Amino acid sequence: MHGFLGGASDNPHARRPRVWGWVLLAPMLAWLALFVVAPALILLAYSFASRGALGAVQFGFSWDNYARIFLPSDGRMIYVDILRRSIGYAGLTTLLCVMIGYPVGWFIARRPPALRERLLMLVMIPFWTSFLIRTYAWIAILKREGLLNGLLKASGAVPHIFPEPLDLLYTPTAVVIGLVYAYLPFVILPVYASAEKLDGALIEAAHDLGAGPLRVFREVVVPLTRPGITAGMLLVFVPAIGMFAITDLMGGARVPMIGNVIQNQFTKALNFPFGAALGVVFTLLFVLSYAVLRWLGGRKTEKAK
Amino acid sequence: MKTLHKLLVLGLAALCAAGASAAPKKKKGELNLYAWSEYIPQAVLDGFTEETGIKVNYETYASGEEMLAKLSAGRARYDLIQPSDYIAEAMIKNGQLLPIDRSKLSHYGNLLPEYLGMAHDPENRYTVPYMTGTVGIVVNTEKVKEPVLGYQDLFSEKYSGRIVVLDDGRELATAALYVLGKGINDFTNESIAGIKPILAEWFSRVKLFDSDSPKTALLNGDVDLGLVWGGEAAILWKENKKFRYVLPAEGAHMFVDLLAIPKRAKNVENAHLFIDYILRPEVSRLISADFPYTNPNGAARKLLTEEELANPASYPKVDRKFDTFRYLGEEVAEKIDSLVTDLKNAR
Repeated sequence: MHGFLGGASDNPHARRPRVWGWVLLAPMLAWLALFVVAPALILLAYSFASRGALGAVQFGFSWDNYARIFLPSDGRMIYVDILRRSIGYAGLTTLLCVMIGYPVGWFIARRPPALRERLLMLVMIPFWTSFLIRTYAWIAILKREGLLNGLLKASGAVPHIFPEPLDLLYTPTAVVIGLVYAYLPFVILPVYASAEKLDGALIEAAHDLGAGPLRVFREVVVPLTRPGITAGMLLVFVPAIGMFAITDLMGGARVPMIGNVIQNQFTKALNFPFGAALGVVFTLLFVLSYAVLRWLGGRKTEKAK
Repeated sequence: MKTLHKLLVLGLAALCAAGASAAPKKKKGELNLYAWSEYIPQAVLDGFTEETGIKVNYETYASGEEMLAKLSAGRARYDLIQPSDYIAEAMIKNGQLLPIDRSKLSHYGNLLPEYLGMAHDPENRYTVPYMTGTVGIVVNTEKVKEPVLGYQDLFSEKYSGRIVVLDDGRELATAALYVLGKGINDFTNESIAGIKPILAEWFSRVKLFDSDSPKTALLNGDVDLGLVWGGEAAILWKENKKFRYVLPAEGAHMFVDLLAIPKRAKNVENAHLFIDYILRPEVSRLISADFPYTNPNGAARKLLTEEELANPASYPKVDRKFDTFRYLGEEVAEKIDSLVTDLKNAR
């Protein structure tokens, strides 16, 4: 990027791209402007408007919608609570995904190449099925008369270990299971990519210098796979905040997420401006969390180098 | 290169063939239909196109408010829409519908008089009833042995965690209004404050909210009772007679889904043809087969099987008169939505 903008470049052989560079970039820039920047600006404009009869929008300028989000009513800040809950679920999902996905990614990376390919396929194949169908499959597993309870009953776990068949569906546990399942490959793959590049010689060297396995892991492996972890966290946390389909399907729509609330404004309450304001806050949240995660990831990578 | 040539020729030939078959057989125009998802059988649409040559562009929505929102946004030009009673009322009040020319509807006489002249359209100038139904309680009588007669029974402590309800703020709020002893459309600041504790208690006992397919949870055995659409209850009853349908004692309402022509429709003639097609008994009968709500078409009812007519959820054998929802305005709609979001959030 440095060279492109005419400043000092890391690569001493890079030439300065001139007109051609811009021409080739133009379609991408146009697409970004038309489909990312323009809609964001429209959303911003709507967020300052107010609602008219039959859901029509009256453009004006008022902070009412934002006031409704951030100022407490009856001593409670409903929408801030909902945002916080969505972030909480996203955070928990990210944590679990990293805890489960990191060992898997590392393990696959250290296998011989032929086996590696096959294991990666196993991770990728479910992706080829529709996300909705996979979620419904979980419903079939977790429901009261479902496969999990069937297994527990058949193995005798149900009368002996658990007195009753497990009531997992439509609980927060089910939601977390669904979320972690949906986002796990997003951690496995970047970690795999990072771990694959790790030179085994570095680990041997650390062992030779007298470090035990735990120390090697903490001080050599983790810092060098940090880019993979950061990428994984970004790919999970940021989209998971907005993921409300799983809360609806596996959580029984009992607890509203920010996505539900925004959807309601457009389909039930017919208050487009308020929905737009929530959307703007939500987008800013994305940007903020992305920035924070990048800063955390970038700083540690510098330290590792 | 030879292979490349062959491929190119084949490709061109395929394109030509596709182009030729895409040309319509009879050029009679089209119909832009905007309706509820899962409410018009494909066979009905295909039959219409086959007979008249009119191409039906079928788009769907999941809620009446969504339809209103899209039409208010201004750009869309639909010829025929399927509003519910209170949505139609709102649109008529705001001059959003074109009057329907009844002289073009030869089968209009099939409609039963009790579904005409209703509050949303007293002179039947803008709407034609499509399907009606009720909202009531379904009980899995294999799991629940005691009688469940109304909302108080449904939401009692002993069924906590075994109940499914519609994810519809207005439906739930209306149920609470009935329990409070108020009228179906009696939403004031006072009554809204009054239903808050009732709904809070109910929500703590509900296992899940589902407007799309509440029958699924009942069939799966995850819940034993539910507050559901009549049509869903009818499908459950067809599956297994253990699912009893009860119209709540404190109060129950009916809904009427209608066909109407929006103001900016382009193909008004075709819209009338479609409405007349739907009013034919043999076509209406097909709709009942797939979606066993209460059919307002008397001639179609004569074509139904004994079992269909005996379905207590489709054709409840009660003498009660049911009210319908009236249009309450966006302020109230917003208050109800806020209330429900707030209560769900507080859990």
